[in-house]
Amino acid sequence: MKLSFSPEDELFREEVVSWLADNLCGEFEPIRFRGGPGDEHSFVEERKAWEQKLAEGGWTCIGWPKQHGGRAATVEQQVIFNEEYARAGGPGRMGHIGETLMGPTLIAFGSDAQRERYLPGIRAGREFWCQGYSEPSAGSDLANVKTRARLDENTGEWRINGQKVWTSLAHESQYVFVIARTDPESVAHKGLGFFLVAMDQPGVTVRPIEQLTGTSEFNEVFFDDAVCAADDIVGAPGEGWKVAMGLLGFERGVSTLGQQMLFQNELDEIVRVARANGAARDPALRQRIAEAHIGLRIMRFNSMRMLSGGGDDGSLQKEAMIYKLYWSSWHRNLGKLAMDVLGAESEIVPEAPYGLSRLQSMYLFTRADTIYGGTNQIQRNIIAERALGMPREPRG
Amino acid sequence: MDFTFSEDQLLFQDSVRGFLVNEITPERLRAGWDTETGRDPALWQQLAELGLTGLTVPEEHGGLGMNAVDFVLLAQECGYVALPEPLVNHALVAVPLLEDLGGELAARWLPLAATGEARVVAAVEQNLVVEDAHVADLLLLERDGQWYALEQGQFSCERNESVDPGRRLFSVAVPAGATVVAGGAQARILRSATLNRGALGCAAQALGLAQRMIDLSVQYTADRKQFGKPIGSFQAVKHHMANVAVRLEYAKAPVHRAAYAAAEDAAAAGLAVAQAKLMACEAANLAAKNSIQVHGAMGYTWEVDLHIFMKKAWALANTWGDAGWHKQQVAEVIFADGAALGAGATFQ
Repeated sequence: MKLSFSPEDELFREEVVSWLADNLCGEFEPIRFRGGPGDEHSFVEERKAWEQKLAEGGWTCIGWPKQHGGRAATVEQQVIFNEEYARAGGPGRMGHIGETLMGPTLIAFGSDAQRERYLPGIRAGREFWCQGYSEPSAGSDLANVKTRARLDENTGEWRINGQKVWTSLAHESQYVFVIARTDPESVAHKGLGFFLVAMDQPGVTVRPIEQLTGTSEFNEVFFDDAVCAADDIVGAPGEGWKVAMGLLGFERGVSTLGQQMLFQNELDEIVRVARANGAARDPALRQRIAEAHIGLRIMRFNSMRMLSGGGDDGSLQKEAMIYKLYWSSWHRNLGKLAMDVLGAESEIVPEAPYGLSRLQSMYLFTRADTIYGGTNQIQRNIIAERALGMPREPRG
Repeated sequence: MDFTFSEDQLLFQDSVRGFLVNEITPERLRAGWDTETGRDPALWQQLAELGLTGLTVPEEHGGLGMNAVDFVLLAQECGYVALPEPLVNHALVAVPLLEDLGGELAARWLPLAATGEARVVAAVEQNLVVEDAHVADLLLLERDGQWYALEQGQFSCERNESVDPGRRLFSVAVPAGATVVAGGAQARILRSATLNRGALGCAAQALGLAQRMIDLSVQYTADRKQFGKPIGSFQAVKHHMANVAVRLEYAKAPVHRAAYAAAEDAAAAGLAVAQAKLMACEAANLAAKNSIQVHGAMGYTWEVDLHIFMKKAWALANTWGDAGWHKQQVAEVIFADGAALGAGATFQ
């Protein structure tokens, strides 16, 4: 056990700090601290330009292997990058789905041709991805996807038909990865394929969904004979579930560190507000702020523990299962805490029409945390059955 | 940044767990409740033979020279079986204190502590009552900002009954004319370090207690059938245990982080320990609450072993600083002027 950064790590920190100071300014000043959870619809064009700026400096995909354009940064370096990025007010990353989900999935499961075709666009901050998993009848029961993929014998291309839903940033993405049924007779997680599909084509229609924040960050995506090249399937037909689940594994890795830094900025803002409006003197609120602070530290320690392999006793797997339940419950409580710290002021919308403050948006957005990416109820089933080995519930 | 334990540390944990689970059965715990001291010299001797009493004693005094990081996993195992002997206080709290006090006192007592011939117990002002004072060959006691080293027979103690029948608590009066072994600023530094290690010991044991209650409940809900099925298959039951599993798993890293701070990074220890104790004791208390619920009416009986662990968790949560006190420590850091919050300080 060694819980400190090395001198080399501290040099790396200086490099990150100075690059951010030199570049996250001027035209990018307005997007500092913007575009985080609940604010992802903001400054989209500016944030895309920022991705390219990051890429020029070599700060996208830093954890990827060097042969794929990354820096092969150590876990410590990725921690440091995320810390300093958040401290400098780095905007919500437009490229995070490509960088943390699609890229690692292609590196692990893709063909050489797929890596050559898609990784450079992600690395350069030019090509953005969205995730085509959920469907109207495949939410918690994700394996119940109905979207079909059929190999067109005349053209040799795949044809995709069906509908995806809750697709974040689909309207800002060039590509979507889709799980679809390659074997029409199959059920559940058998007979699925994992496809890489271009958004800009006649067979794909995106319809925004208005959220209770009044903004639209996610969408419905309709596939009507959408075209997908023959070799744009990752893995073989029938292996889609394996690839899809492998991708979800990456979701619980280093990317959690960046998320925690955004949480830290939110908590800092709550502390600032509490000090300014006197809520910090209320013993009950003070204790809740202390609890929130502890909860975030705990997430951080656990991510570090997981990433340093501290689960050799078998808890690593358990750890990955419980992360979602822990952070979503914590963040939902943070949203409520923010409103309680604001008190009566929490009702007042600062800008008409319906221009919510950052904390108001955060509060509303956190209502979704315990639902998307696996509801808390589904997570508890998984933890009880797989981590604790309790008897399975009969499913119909 | 490395949260892993070494192969040796994990192997030692395994062998200690094997020994404790075999020896410290619930039947043996119950038998101990009715004895005069509630403690078993033969068991203490076995712990000494395993090297546990000397684990943290410096090598020049006949010990293994290990620290809180080496001991923390063992303290978890002590919690798992609700070990009655004062091993955690002795090895994690009192021996390092004795080393810090140094001088003749340390030179005389550390070798005896290493072999287990002497049981050393420490307590600070925060401990209204002193656990295991009746079997302490040497009691290191802080009262009114001063430290005293009292040998068995030099002080009187009056027993207080604990909600946990396995705990033996005593009010101790410092005898007139007792020699002060540390005072002033040194006494304050030692109090804070001792309090940190005491709270760390509680936190580590709470992890073990929570795991024990989970294990008992998983077993019970697999065996107990209603509506023709094991009750553990019902979501309404299993979600109770999933909630405990999450709390417990997430309390481990802060406890290990606190152990590291206690061993290597004294400046960070206060905050790290406060976080660890709060999280671990919350996990154990939730384990107790939910385990009783999933045991149904059986969970409310004296006969079922669950209450042994539930009561120990209850007691530990309120000793070496209760939840309110530790939370206050955290709040003071957050609201301090010029507090180092934010992205660069998230590892505090």
